[in-house]
Amino acid sequence: MSEQQFEEPPRAPTGGDYAPSVAERLALYQRAGGFVTPLVTAIIAFFIGGLVVLASGSNPLSTYRAIFNGTGLNWFFPWISSADRTLAALNLQQTLLLTTPLILCGLAVAFAFRCGMFNIGGQGQYAVGSIMAVWVASAFVGMNGPLHIVLTIVVASVCGALWAGIAGLLKATVGAHEVISTIMLNWIAYWIGSWVFALGGPLQSHANGGSVPVSHDIQPNTHLHVFWGNPVLQGLHIGFFVAIAALVVYWITLNRTTLGYQVRAVGFNPEAARYGGMSVARNYVVAMAIAGGFAGLAGAIDVLGWEFRLNVNDIQVSQIGFIAIAVALLGRNTAVGVFFSALLFGALLNGTSTRHLDPSVFRPDLAGNLTLIIQGLVVLFVGADVLVLWLWSQRRKLRLARADANTAVTS
Amino acid sequence: MAAARVVREPSPASRITGVAGIVLALLAYWLTLPPVAATSLVLPIVLGAVSIGLGAYTAVDGRRRLGWGAISAGGLAILLGALAVHAGRGNLDSAVVWGPLFASMFVYATPLTYAALGGLFSERSGVVNIGLEGMMLTGCFFGIWGAEQTGHWYLGMLIAMGAGGLLALIYGFFAIHLRADQIVGGTAINFLALGITGYLFIDIYGSTGTPDMSNAESVPNISISNANGFFPQAFGDLNLLVWISFALLILTYLFVFRTPWGLRLRAVGEHPRAADTVGISVFGVRYAAVTFSGMLSAMGGAFLSIGFVHSFNQNMTEGRGFIALAALIFGKWRPGGAFAAALLFGFSSALAQRLGSIPNWATYAVLFQALPYVLTLVAVAGVIGRSIPPAADGEPYQKQ
Amino acid sequence: MSAAPVLELRGITKRFPGIVANDHVDFDLLPGETHALLGENGAGKSTLMNVLYGLYHPDEGEIVVKGERLSLGSPSDAIEHGIGMVHQHFMLIPVMTVAENVVLASEPTHGKAFLDMGAAIARVEELSRRFGLTVDPRARVESITVGQQQRVEILKALYRGADILILDEPTAVLTPQEATDLFGILRSLTEQGKSVIFISHKLHEVLEIADRISVLRRGKLVETRQREGATEESLARAMVGRDVLLRVDKKPAEPGETLLAVEDLQVLDDRGLEAVRGVSFEVRAGEIVGIAGVDGNGQTQLIDAIAGLTHVESGRVLLGGRDLTGKSAKEALDAGLGHIPEDRQRRGLVLEFSLAENLVLHDYDKEPVSRLGWLRPGVLIRRAGGLLKAFDVRGGGPATRAGALSGGNQQKVVLAREIERNPSVLIAAQPTRGLDVGAIEFVHRRLVEERDEGRGILLVSLELDEILSLSDRIFVIYEGRLVAEYGPDVTEEELGIAMTGGRSKEAA
Repeated sequence: MSEQQFEEPPRAPTGGDYAPSVAERLALYQRAGGFVTPLVTAIIAFFIGGLVVLASGSNPLSTYRAIFNGTGLNWFFPWISSADRTLAALNLQQTLLLTTPLILCGLAVAFAFRCGMFNIGGQGQYAVGSIMAVWVASAFVGMNGPLHIVLTIVVASVCGALWAGIAGLLKATVGAHEVISTIMLNWIAYWIGSWVFALGGPLQSHANGGSVPVSHDIQPNTHLHVFWGNPVLQGLHIGFFVAIAALVVYWITLNRTTLGYQVRAVGFNPEAARYGGMSVARNYVVAMAIAGGFAGLAGAIDVLGWEFRLNVNDIQVSQIGFIAIAVALLGRNTAVGVFFSALLFGALLNGTSTRHLDPSVFRPDLAGNLTLIIQGLVVLFVGADVLVLWLWSQRRKLRLARADANTAVTS
Repeated sequence: MAAARVVREPSPASRITGVAGIVLALLAYWLTLPPVAATSLVLPIVLGAVSIGLGAYTAVDGRRRLGWGAISAGGLAILLGALAVHAGRGNLDSAVVWGPLFASMFVYATPLTYAALGGLFSERSGVVNIGLEGMMLTGCFFGIWGAEQTGHWYLGMLIAMGAGGLLALIYGFFAIHLRADQIVGGTAINFLALGITGYLFIDIYGSTGTPDMSNAESVPNISISNANGFFPQAFGDLNLLVWISFALLILTYLFVFRTPWGLRLRAVGEHPRAADTVGISVFGVRYAAVTFSGMLSAMGGAFLSIGFVHSFNQNMTEGRGFIALAALIFGKWRPGGAFAAALLFGFSSALAQRLGSIPNWATYAVLFQALPYVLTLVAVAGVIGRSIPPAADGEPYQKQ
Repeated sequence: MSAAPVLELRGITKRFPGIVANDHVDFDLLPGETHALLGENGAGKSTLMNVLYGLYHPDEGEIVVKGERLSLGSPSDAIEHGIGMVHQHFMLIPVMTVAENVVLASEPTHGKAFLDMGAAIARVEELSRRFGLTVDPRARVESITVGQQQRVEILKALYRGADILILDEPTAVLTPQEATDLFGILRSLTEQGKSVIFISHKLHEVLEIADRISVLRRGKLVETRQREGATEESLARAMVGRDVLLRVDKKPAEPGETLLAVEDLQVLDDRGLEAVRGVSFEVRAGEIVGIAGVDGNGQTQLIDAIAGLTHVESGRVLLGGRDLTGKSAKEALDAGLGHIPEDRQRRGLVLEFSLAENLVLHDYDKEPVSRLGWLRPGVLIRRAGGLLKAFDVRGGGPATRAGALSGGNQQKVVLAREIERNPSVLIAAQPTRGLDVGAIEFVHRRLVEERDEGRGILLVSLELDEILSLSDRIFVIYEGRLVAEYGPDVTEEELGIAMTGGRSKEAA
């Protein structure tokens, strides 16, 4: 037995020229701690958020309660009154409206992580998807409704995939680190979006005399059907089911297909994958493309579901792709994790929005920044292995004392 | 897919053709601008096409990156040259005045320079710093808040540097001691900075308020000359911080490459264990480097708020921190290279801003804002040649 | 040599979780002597020296240098007291020059602020001259040879005033000529009063250079003796505790048709230098062909080229008559090549995958494991269960994560995967590195069994024992060429000479 066996867990093989890959570290994170670690991470983040609230003179408990009231999550509690329930229903619809793109963009980040890449480009891919969606859905007057919807979704997803594929291709061919290229692509998409609907831009609507930087409205028959709540009040549309379906597709792809097998192998150990005969480069491109497809799909769903048109401001202000990073990390890149984590952040976003937060308790614009702080804390703690290393070292002591072998990561 | 393909050596001639291609492309574009302002569309198209041809030859001969560089330069030259010709002489004359354009370039480049040089210290010690954006934003806010509270710009600057340094220290703790993944950690820092500065801004000034700068000094300009002509217009009235950035460039070079501490800094970034075995404190050096990078980035951000724009709004830095990181990579982690890259990116921003004043071009000016990011993408694609970071960049260090 | 020891280690004990790496070890060093520290892998030699160098803190015992009791908290303390260490894996910064590497952390300066590289270069040249360590101070470390890099390491220690030099397996990376040069340097150093501790597991070297020899076994000191009267056999017995030679019982080979033919292969390494220069050989059915050589003579590139993992400059690789030259790894594997890679954790297994998933690393896209891109987990688990039992893999079942297994069991999984595919030719690269005796025995037995089934096996190993024990034919690779071919009854000495590029030039 050599002296080398007393080290910390094996280091991840370097992925690219610039900084090591995350997949193997996150795999360690996934293994150790089960459900508990993300829960504890979230609690600590909220706790520190509460300290921030306290420091600025408000009561954290009443603030959080006020935020919670706006989320509609109390709809799940069977003991509330029916008047409360109606209000909660409305709130919950709004929350789930936000959860939908968060799930999809979260999958965009998670899928890339599974292949060992950090897809920060979800925002840009989402933007590209929404732009294409608005364009396709507002054109082709007279096309059959469902067909039009499908066409829009397909085009948007494909364009999101292509946008992400650029980063994947750069990584595969010249080894450019995907973090840099996706960040750049985000900003390029941002400025393209700012141009395309701006005054004088190619897709600007001239409806109001051309004075508003907005796109055309999408065709009325391309609106997604609202199945819960009042369409006028922006109830929940069937795009939610698309997001759920995407979660299932994600899981199936990763765990039941040969494509997913390759993606995971490359993510965990590109060297072994190469020795096993796989093409690492091809997998990088494919994984990024699929990730971009999810994000593009998110853009389409939002446009068809409740946005119906795009302002330049919408493109510039949106943060969905970035919040999705926290969603994926907190959810540890698993389908179930992404769902709950997207629900959490969707609730947080909704509860802190101007419409729902009682300004006398806590100002909504402050609350929006509070969400950002919590988001940052979550990502920070996930990135640090503190809890994980501690748990791992506990495990190691057990293992050396001959405990049972632990089970593998298959989901 | 086979690894490590070694093809036959490219000929020396292809390097000449590649460089010639790039030079021709630059020439093609420059000729369409004042003072020459060629009006014929043929000129940029022909020269650009020749560039592309030279580039293709170079690439096929095996120098792929140089070749693609010439091809993309040629393509850009045709596009931009055509736009320039299309804009018409009069418009161009008003927009492209080289003197003020250069002055503008320095102003836009300066925040990038500070952050890029700051990032250089961090990365040379082996710690990837994606959080430059967040540190810059922190300096941006605290600079103006400090200046307004104390009434002096230099105190505001100090407060900014303190805040940036503190944020960097937190990041450093996670990255160095806890060995967190540095890219994830840097991203977290950016979110945190955005949230904290936004929160404080609204809490203190309200969501529609702005800091009252009448009480705060802004960083003074150094007025040398008011005359006309290229040099006086370019250098005549630059802000103090711009001049300091020039000095910083020189100081950085001297420190990193000519002093013992610089040698140790680089050693820690290349081979931390080797440095450890000769008694250098890897953690100590890295903490110092990361904190310093935060302070410098904050200076860059503070320049933005108290040196240039004289106010603050949420997310004011708008990704400049990432452009600075790109400048660092573009410049191959060398001070001179990073500085030049920052100037290049600053130039494209300056040009975009001035082109916005041309009536037909108002919408296209927006697209020009994307140019720095496109250039970075090109750089990262390795067109500028392999960009090799310090060997241990991004790998947390473990003592045994 | 005067009497008072310049260094004494008394009762040094160092524990790690689950093992006592050093168990009350006593060691001393006289001025001007070369004292060898001998032992197998894992005997505790490196740990002891790391304690001496301040990298580890001993749990018990004391360190006395020049009569003074010391507590060494870090390498800086050790350096201060005149102890210098040349590590097995060099602690040099490739992109920096020799002079920069030597003076790092004790740089000569102009007025405390600026580096004085002129003075640094002068100092390096002076030390070089004095001790016979020729090297160019202005050269970048990445561009000089390994032997020269080692000299830079020695210069580093001497620059800091080391009187005691510890060399950790210094000849592991040297060619025999460079090793001879090193011994000359060591003699020069001891003549000038320095003392040298020489860690090794190579018996003939120790006998050549040492004045005294200390043997460690499983953390304990077995003996300390003068060189006079020591033989390889007596030292080996002390190292291992029993009579060594483990040869596998095997029938003589009955080779059949040629399965793998390599013709005039030329391969470049990743710096563009020639690594394999016109290698030709064959592997026939029912035989084990061993390739022996010092690390870094082209073995890795040769294997990678045959397996389709690296570009072939010229030459051909034929598997069962099919031309595989330049084809991808996947095609090579599908054509009937099996490959047990050198580093099972980096290249052989995906540690985060379950054993079942690892076992299909090559065949995940074929029936019956998958159909039309769809994996069938039931099939995976069933196959895995059978294989794990057949290969006696312990430590878990099909769903266990590969990283949870011990090294020996991990290697069995790799073996199981490769052999199960029924390859016609199996490449085994360092198949028993880092394994314990029981696992080594298993692997060796299995390889011989596969040979008897009619496969052709190409064994590449740095362990001469393994090569001699298993191979039916032995080639020696030196500087990218096959320089000799032997039958199984060749002696270690003959092999050693050929590996050093020596006289027998029966080039293949």
